[in-house]
Amino acid sequence: MKNRVADLRAEHGWTQADLAQRIGVSRQSINAIETGKFDPSLPVAFRLAELFELTIEDIFTVDR
Amino acid sequence: MPAHDETTSYRNQNRTTAGLALWTLAWLATLAVARFGPEFLWEAQPVASWIAVAVNVLVGIAWIVAFARFLRAQDDLWRKISLDALAVTLGVGWIVGFGYFVADAAGIVAYDINIALFPALLGIAYLVAVVVGWIRYR
Repeated sequence: MKNRVADLRAEHGWTQADLAQRIGVSRQSINAIETGKFDPSLPVAFRLAELFELTIEDIFTVDR
Repeated sequence: MPAHDETTSYRNQNRTTAGLALWTLAWLATLAVARFGPEFLWEAQPVASWIAVAVNVLVGIAWIVAFARFLRAQDDLWRKISLDALAVTLGVGWIVGFGYFVADAAGIVAYDINIALFPALLGIAYLVAVVVGWIRYR
């Protein structure tokens, strides 16, 4: 699954630790999501969408 | 979906981690008492030995509950790393356990291995798998 988390985080000027703190996961989780090593659960995806004021589909796209 | 509270989540992770550490120490302590009690604390008193074993088993059950709570309190990634490590540990247990059983049945085991080494092996397998998972996703 591809995602725009790194770009969106950069737009807001947040570090990985900042974003992790805002959505309640570890910094390591943010790094793993951004590098595509790990797909987050639905609750975490919703929290990201809510934080960036986007839909989940705006952030995550299926890697075909 | 319940509202997310970062502070509560962080506190819950710390609380369950501390709980797991305490129950682990309690289990080890009761295990030591059950193992060495008959030699050093009481002699030839089967009732005392039974009580020590029962306490160890009960504390072990509490440890299982604490571990389940610890897993539930972790964030997605750490829960995945922990579950992957548990899968590796289960696999190592089956492979080594049945491998030893088959080798022993075939009469190719030169000497008996202390059964206490088996849970120690599982513990090492779990820790190694957690470290590998942590390195993979860092």
